[in-house]
Amino acid sequence: MNDITVKTNRLPQGHVSTNGHHPVIKAETLNIGYGQRTVVEGLSLDLLKGGITALVGPNGSGKSTLLKTLARLLKPSAGEVFLNGKAISRMSTSVVAQEIAVLPQGPVAPPGLTVGELVEQGRYPHAGPLKMLRKQDYSAISEALRLTGMEDFTHRSLDNLSGGEKQRAWIALALAQETPVLLLDEPTTFLDIGHQLEVLELVEKLNRDKGMTVVLVVHDLNHAARYATRMVALKDGLIVADGPPSEVLTADLLNFLFGVHAHIISDPETGKPVCLPYAVVATAEKE
Amino acid sequence: MSSSPITVSQKTPNARSAQALNRPPFLVRNFPFVIVVGLLLLVFLLMAHVNIGTANISLGDIINVLTGKQVDSVTYTIVYELRLPRALVAVAAGAMLALAGAIMQAVTRNPLADPDLTGATAGAVFFAVLWLSRDLFYRNVAPPDVGVPAVALVGSVITGGFVYILSRGRDKQSNTMRMVLTGVMVAAIFRSLTSLVLLINQNATNGILMWLIGSLNGVTWSHWGTIWPWAVVTLPLGFACAGVANVLHLGDDIATGLGSRVELARLLLLFVAVLLTAASVSVVGALGFLGLMSPHIARRLVGNDARRVFPLSAIIGAIILLLADILARALTTTVALPVGAVMALLGAPFLIYLLRRRARSV
Repeated sequence: MNDITVKTNRLPQGHVSTNGHHPVIKAETLNIGYGQRTVVEGLSLDLLKGGITALVGPNGSGKSTLLKTLARLLKPSAGEVFLNGKAISRMSTSVVAQEIAVLPQGPVAPPGLTVGELVEQGRYPHAGPLKMLRKQDYSAISEALRLTGMEDFTHRSLDNLSGGEKQRAWIALALAQETPVLLLDEPTTFLDIGHQLEVLELVEKLNRDKGMTVVLVVHDLNHAARYATRMVALKDGLIVADGPPSEVLTADLLNFLFGVHAHIISDPETGKPVCLPYAVVATAEKE
Repeated sequence: MSSSPITVSQKTPNARSAQALNRPPFLVRNFPFVIVVGLLLLVFLLMAHVNIGTANISLGDIINVLTGKQVDSVTYTIVYELRLPRALVAVAAGAMLALAGAIMQAVTRNPLADPDLTGATAGAVFFAVLWLSRDLFYRNVAPPDVGVPAVALVGSVITGGFVYILSRGRDKQSNTMRMVLTGVMVAAIFRSLTSLVLLINQNATNGILMWLIGSLNGVTWSHWGTIWPWAVVTLPLGFACAGVANVLHLGDDIATGLGSRVELARLLLLFVAVLLTAASVSVVGALGFLGLMSPHIARRLVGNDARRVFPLSAIIGAIILLLADILARALTTTVALPVGAVMALLGAPFLIYLLRRRARSV
């Protein structure tokens, strides 16, 4: 748990890095917005190598916006994202693609595309100018398919897959990029509980076996607490809590973030905190 | 439609056995074979195109003309001066329009996109029509002696660039929806400008009509001379863009995440599509449906990977245009039927069929 450093805007309760690693991704005083509307203001965040960081918060809190900015899909109006110490905005996008793989929310594949053809695109940042696949490309593709359990689906069209299979195919695309960092935006949305856990266990496995640094936006707080090594809670574009799940997932935070009363208990299986929201906080109570 | 030899093998994924799903479909596995068969079919149709007509020329005579052997002058004129350039232009224009269509469908991520969305078609027609009516505007000054195709080509590229610039927002970013709508709007503007010119110049509608419909009538070696250098450059350029198009086809965010410079990639693909469209439309006029239809047939055969769809679309486009022109010449003996009319006759039912199929699968 000591592999995280934090700069919080409101509730400074962060852990200071003790192993002297430079952060893989460092966000410095980011302002992010769409047009006139500012979503995130003055946000800083360091992500050290090898953790699973869950971004949580209510709708519109800026989690997805932050994730997209970390992946240079959005340009911040102020501030800078650093990847291994270099400003990401000044790096070639294909070099970034060799370091960071990102899966945005609800991607749509062209009709008729097969899983194999999709996953093959993950080699785009590695391929030479003629974009011919080499031996290492094929091995990366089959490894990505193996990790996601999609080998038997290689030649199936994405149109004919279930939601869970589709999601695994897209994750396989990101894995074929063979990057040390993986950013996932709500990878479990629209999946049933079994497929949700399947995706999250895959993330855990990638982190454990391959040492991948993972950042994911999740709605389910219990999933975040169960699988993440670090939880970053956002509200109105500000980080309001940051640290290991046992410290972040508190009744106070749920009250503050979502306006709900909740019991926090410990999972008998994993010892991780679990929240059981039971009522909406009345408006009068909030004041 | 169904009698044309290209609409083979329409297996739906559901109809395939589970075992067959573990490997790519036959036509995908044997893609080089598909291309070879397509090219052979193309050569066969090329010969048939030269062979079939009001005067039937024997295959032996055709080969004699092509190999430079002595034949009687009438046969020589028919084969070499009338039919051969026409057939070759059909191949080049068909391939280029179909590839432009495939590129536009990938760039806009819209299966109903076609080369007209670049604005290049309407632009070519407008400038061609304007040029054909130039006597109305320059009564006393002799305009420079430039061929209509050259004028149409320049106008077409200008219009294409216009569409791209307009489809960029204040943030200097284009987006596919804005691009499609801008393409439709600019095309509409140029079409109505064309109508205005036609209203003013009612005497000259005959030659102009051929431009509006798209025709191979009266195509000569000079037309071939205009189109082939473009074909040689833009077709390979288009095929080489397949990898870029594949990534772009996954959407802007995914493409950016994969390291594609989306804005640049889109500009490149659009530029190639404009050149392909401009060069073909400036020679054969506004041929509809070909650019829409061919990529769909190609995808039905070999899936949605641009590295296969692009070259196969081009071959299919050339085949369809040759077939349509053979039909156009076979159907009439007194009036020369423009191939564009035949294409619309084939293309519109195909479009309806396509829409019905999509409606069912959703």
